[in-house]
Amino acid sequence: MNTNETTASMKRHMGMKAASRISNTIIHIILVLISIVWLIPFICIVIQSFRVEPTSMSRYLLNHPSIQFNWGFDNYVNLWKSDFPRWYLNTFIIAIVVAVVQTIIVLCMSYTLSRFRFKMRKPMMQFMLILGMFPGMLAMIILYQVLKDIGLAGTNAIPGLILVYCASSGMGYYVSKGFFDTIPKSLDEAARVDGATRAQVLFKIILPLAKPIVIYTVLTAFMGPWGDFVFAKYVSGVTPSAYNVAVGLQSWLATDTMTNNYYTMFCAGGVVVAIPVVILFMCLQRYYVEGVTGGAVKG
Amino acid sequence: MASVKLTNVKKIYDNNVVAVHDFNLDIKDKEFVVFVGPSGCGKSTTLRMVAGLEEISDGTVEIDGEVVNDLQPKDRNIAMVFQNYALYPHMTVYDNIAFSLRLKKMPEDVIYSRVTNAAEILGITQYLMRKPRALSGGQRQRVAIGRAMVRDSKVFLMDEPLSNLDAKLRNQMRAEIILLRQKLDTTFIYVTHDQTEAMTLGDRIVIMKDGYIMQVGTPTEVFEMPHNLFVAEFIGAPKMNILKTNLVKEGGKYFVTPCGAKIEVTGEKNNLLAQKGVESGEIVLGVRPEHIVLANENDPGAIACTLEVNEMMGSELHLHVFSEDGTRWIVRVPTIDLTPEQREGLVNGAKLFITFEGKVMHFFDPETEKNLIYGE
Repeated sequence: MNTNETTASMKRHMGMKAASRISNTIIHIILVLISIVWLIPFICIVIQSFRVEPTSMSRYLLNHPSIQFNWGFDNYVNLWKSDFPRWYLNTFIIAIVVAVVQTIIVLCMSYTLSRFRFKMRKPMMQFMLILGMFPGMLAMIILYQVLKDIGLAGTNAIPGLILVYCASSGMGYYVSKGFFDTIPKSLDEAARVDGATRAQVLFKIILPLAKPIVIYTVLTAFMGPWGDFVFAKYVSGVTPSAYNVAVGLQSWLATDTMTNNYYTMFCAGGVVVAIPVVILFMCLQRYYVEGVTGGAVKG
Repeated sequence: MASVKLTNVKKIYDNNVVAVHDFNLDIKDKEFVVFVGPSGCGKSTTLRMVAGLEEISDGTVEIDGEVVNDLQPKDRNIAMVFQNYALYPHMTVYDNIAFSLRLKKMPEDVIYSRVTNAAEILGITQYLMRKPRALSGGQRQRVAIGRAMVRDSKVFLMDEPLSNLDAKLRNQMRAEIILLRQKLDTTFIYVTHDQTEAMTLGDRIVIMKDGYIMQVGTPTEVFEMPHNLFVAEFIGAPKMNILKTNLVKEGGKYFVTPCGAKIEVTGEKNNLLAQKGVESGEIVLGVRPEHIVLANENDPGAIACTLEVNEMMGSELHLHVFSEDGTRWIVRVPTIDLTPEQREGLVNGAKLFITFEGKVMHFFDPETEKNLIYGE
């Protein structure tokens, strides 16, 4: 290669570098703008939660001369003196139990549909897919009636809610079945020849290989009841001791008088509710992404 | 160590596709049987029915005299090696091999001695603590074999164990399987689509096509006495030359007339044809490439041909030629038999003459495709 050619190729190279630097900059600017828009509500809530005043009369973000704005941890301290710990515990119990039960049901269901061949397999899968398209709210009234009749509404709302969340969980088999389908069947067969029962195949071979999807299933199963409002609201009815956090916090805002007294405490409650979820996702996001996208490309 | 007996075994899938028709076979204790055939012939399905991984639609499978139709694979006491190795990716090589022993709740020290012993035989001792993904194809296959070895099972099943390996490694592993078989001294059922593997490994070969058994026999039997055209073409590489021609009976002697030449059937074949009472008529003639020799123009039975492709295989040449009537032939010529001048003359388009002896011919019925002498 002579000198001219070398210079030309270097120039070309530098030109490409500059172009990619410009497009990178533009992309980053757009991303930063999107993040700001996306983060503002959260920042507002965090700021509000550290105010000493109970009211919502503020400009949300910044101090305004006409409005008192003092910093303090009062809201967080008062939170634990209110009904909030009770609601938090209720939600936590429901979410943990549902996470465990629902994960077991979903994984067994997915394994069965992925590995066994039986007559009603296809019709059943299609039926559940179509059934899953109807919003769960449609069944709200009748569900409440049934729960009330068997005594699981109102004061017994917690076991009632666990039942509601777990009952239809088998229908969420779709993602994990897709993941199981990517695990070669010959592994099952090898294990069965090696002397394993179907259950041993699932627990010793398939689940260790499907770790991302197990974690994904646990996370989604935990998140459902953790943030649920509608079902929790009508099943618990007017029994404050059976509220979950969403219903409880909402009750602080439900009346005009309460709006004045509880608004910033409500914000503090929101922050406390978000903490375990944030920690969970930070620890497990690697698996979560793998679980959702897994199976698209076989590694 | 056990015998395996398949009686009228059938496999019919839900969509009414019949994968295996009436399969009957008696496998003796410590015998090495190879199922061979093109893909889709039902050989793997049959093996999987023996393993219990595929339901048996009809008929019975017996292992050691016991009907196992309704037994789970784990209760059949068999070991199996899969084509894609099927190693458990999340376990080390040691755990992979130990898996079946742990399921049986054997004491750890027994497991240790068995695993290390198997690893030593297979030469994978230094990889025991690795995960399968850190191994090469050949090493993975050894682990898969090791996993099957430690079990002391009655029957050893292998489903195309070498087809994922490259050609060189395949030859090496083939030899190792022969050695392994001598060490294990148990009953083997081996599935392959490669006739070379079938010929070199099997005590007996079962040749299958479209779910039917075409022939069962020793390698020598299927090579020298193919029952039908399919077996004749399937066994042997390059495959047998096949052409339609006439068989002529003249005064107790038989002749064939390929491409205008007239070649006498000699040796035992002549007597056997006479015994079977075969008359003159159209037949399908089969001649193996290695039985065809280069001839001179004036030799009796010489067929004039034009050379189309000359494949240099090292110790031999594969000559693809066509005769005047358009029939294509493949001729295997050992290079050692040729003078340098002859070899130089074998360029594309060269004219040459071929012939073959009367005792190497195979005769098939053009309609039933059965061997006129050995066909059942």
